[in-house]
Amino acid sequence: MDAPVRLVVTDDLRRSRLTVFFRLLLALPHFFWIVLWTIVVVPAAIICWFAALATGRPPTGLHRFLSAYIRYGAHLAAYLSLAANPYPGFTGEPGYPIDVELPEAAPQPRWKTALRLVLALPALLLAAVVGSGSIGGGGGGRGSGADESWGGFLFSGGGLLVVCAFLGWFATLALGRMPSGLRDLAAYGVGYSAQTSAYLLLVTDRYPSSDPDAAGPRWSLPPHAIGVEVDDDGRRSRLTVFFRLLLALPHFVWLTLWSVAAVLAALVNGIYTLVRGRSAAPLHRFLAAYVRYSAHVTAFATLVGNRFPGFTGAPGYAVDISIGAAERQSRWVTLFRTILVIPAFLVSGGLSAALAVVAFLGWFAALATGRMPEGLRRLGAIAVRYLAQTSAYWLIVTDDYPYASPALRAADEPIEPAAELHGEAAA
Amino acid sequence: MLWQTRVPDGLRLPELDNARVFEGAALERAETYERFLRLDFIASQLVLIVVLALYAWRGAGFARESAAGRIGTGMLLGMIGLALVWLSQVPFRLAETWWDRRYDQSDAGYVTTLFENWFALGAEFLFISLALVIVMALAGRFPRRWWIAAAPVFIGLATLFAFVTPYLFPTEPANAALQADARRFASAQEIEPPRLSVQDVSDFTDAPNAFAAGFGPTRRVVLWSTLLDGRFSEGEVETVLAHELGHHSGNHILESLAWYALFALPGTWLIALATRRRGGMRHPAAVPVSLLVLVVLQLGSLPLQNAISRHMEEEADWVALETTRDADQARGLFEKFTTLALADPDPPAWSTALLDGHPSILERIEFAEAWRTRSR
Repeated sequence: MDAPVRLVVTDDLRRSRLTVFFRLLLALPHFFWIVLWTIVVVPAAIICWFAALATGRPPTGLHRFLSAYIRYGAHLAAYLSLAANPYPGFTGEPGYPIDVELPEAAPQPRWKTALRLVLALPALLLAAVVGSGSIGGGGGGRGSGADESWGGFLFSGGGLLVVCAFLGWFATLALGRMPSGLRDLAAYGVGYSAQTSAYLLLVTDRYPSSDPDAAGPRWSLPPHAIGVEVDDDGRRSRLTVFFRLLLALPHFVWLTLWSVAAVLAALVNGIYTLVRGRSAAPLHRFLAAYVRYSAHVTAFATLVGNRFPGFTGAPGYAVDISIGAAERQSRWVTLFRTILVIPAFLVSGGLSAALAVVAFLGWFAALATGRMPEGLRRLGAIAVRYLAQTSAYWLIVTDDYPYASPALRAADEPIEPAAELHGEAAA
Repeated sequence: MLWQTRVPDGLRLPELDNARVFEGAALERAETYERFLRLDFIASQLVLIVVLALYAWRGAGFARESAAGRIGTGMLLGMIGLALVWLSQVPFRLAETWWDRRYDQSDAGYVTTLFENWFALGAEFLFISLALVIVMALAGRFPRRWWIAAAPVFIGLATLFAFVTPYLFPTEPANAALQADARRFASAQEIEPPRLSVQDVSDFTDAPNAFAAGFGPTRRVVLWSTLLDGRFSEGEVETVLAHELGHHSGNHILESLAWYALFALPGTWLIALATRRRGGMRHPAAVPVSLLVLVVLQLGSLPLQNAISRHMEEEADWVALETTRDADQARGLFEKFTTLALADPDPPAWSTALLDGHPSILERIEFAEAWRTRSR
């Protein structure tokens, strides 16, 4: 089933250094404008809610007004997070390089309308981490006035968008282009925020899906030494879900011990790679096993994977990390690895926060339904993949830089059918 | 050798009457309070055994939740067993909290009751994982004789645990007056004074308590803050202090370890025997059975464990009396255990056997009176 709220990306990654440098100042008029607009949107949404309860569908005029507000919020969030370049218009007209397609007004079940604010809470929580953290999807990443005026009372943050904007600012000033991975991640955050806003403001009754492939372009990965393979049917044992963190304790202890050894091994590996231009094969195997194991434990603890993982980092887990053999690595990149990895650590921090929310929401959903919602699981797997890439980069397993795009597969791989695309509605 | 005691041979205890020692209302209140707790205990243990029996029967199916190989799967099954044990005990813990609150023995809320011990539960998960790693690794190497090698390892672990126990509780140093008392009493008992600390437990209980922990350089006496909240006189607190020092001067921690060592080998052998039908402890499927056997063995050995514990407590009581030379304060302290902490002064014999690691309150008072008579 097609998602009613779809993200459309036509951005070409090129950026004007001048407007990027002054981006926040240039956006000041928009901050004022979105505050004013939000002040009008709040009573409009309340009226729309009563009307939808009474008639079973939101009034067309209000629906159109709220849709424009959501689009405008998405444009502004994309502009602020550097996911898009042009100065956005003030009316939410379609056609911006990072845009959202919204559905026409349609009948909506009254019970869903009545409970909308409560039902939206999990999505709002996730939007606060991956999105802009505001009702309209606008500007939360920079702490805009609009954000604090309404959405801010429910949540704050916009963690990933802030990280993308912060890192993108430096990268764009240096390169004149936004790195595609960061742009994709920011665009995904904008899209999820727009879905959440559309759900909350009764533009649609379809629950937001955190599955990056569900409501946007097909994100894909460039060739990379570190990939993720997911072979999980989504079923979860309620008993092991309930006690998941406690069950993971032995793994946490083991992982801590292994981490100490891994850091020491990485030091030796770094020196070896500086001299020989490639990792020592035994150290590569040891560190690759550590990276895989740490991904398995992360997946298990956050409910992205179901089965209790092994302790050796052997391949074959349901959420597995594929790591190629040791290859040549740039000596310069190896020498400055600890500095170069800092941006990836920042993105990892944002994705870890998203992963924590995935685990938190997934815990309740899996206890209730015996399944992990598909969207949460895929988002979790993406985070696990990025964390593994960061870890592998830092530990000199590869010099391929972590790729931030919300993708699970390379462009030429077939897309996996989303069996439970809208499973998060149950959550 | 382990049964040696400093209590004089042939000590005759006077036969006191409950009704003459305690007021009727206080006595009835304590008896009613403890009667419920006994029933709660019996019910909880029955449910525990039923749950573990069911788990022993069907629990091996949880192996499908594991991708961790033989030992990892065994660890998972062990932890799931513990999780089921925890779940099965929730109603009884809540009932106990309700009862404690009703009798003003605790201010703890029900949510607190459920979640306050999650750190301890985490430690238990880790412990059982470690235990199963040891057992299953040994069973992989020595499928039929693993228990011979496992027993010394567990004795070593128990010794290590006893050694580090004093560091597992957040405590504060006791005040200078108590420290001075501790030094004086330690000198009287001819030992180096151990560290004296106070643990703040006021958030979850009003019950008074103290304990001795550690051995060698880690020896420590810990007094609960509830003992120092003004309800007990200085002399009564001194009696507690002298009693706990008595455990150290009697080397009771090491004696307990020696008792454990004595039973570790037959215990592991019985587990090995009981799990053979499931292929032995090298197979994860045997883990649920081993948990059942372990719990049944523990329950079955409760009378013996408690008898050993009471024997040591008697000795510590006697040493405390010899140290403080004040039977009035000892008697006052024991009476308050009934009037304030609602300890039944004379519980039924089965309860003593299964539940009581200390002599009954009446016996302790008789002990104090016997000391008074003997010291005249």
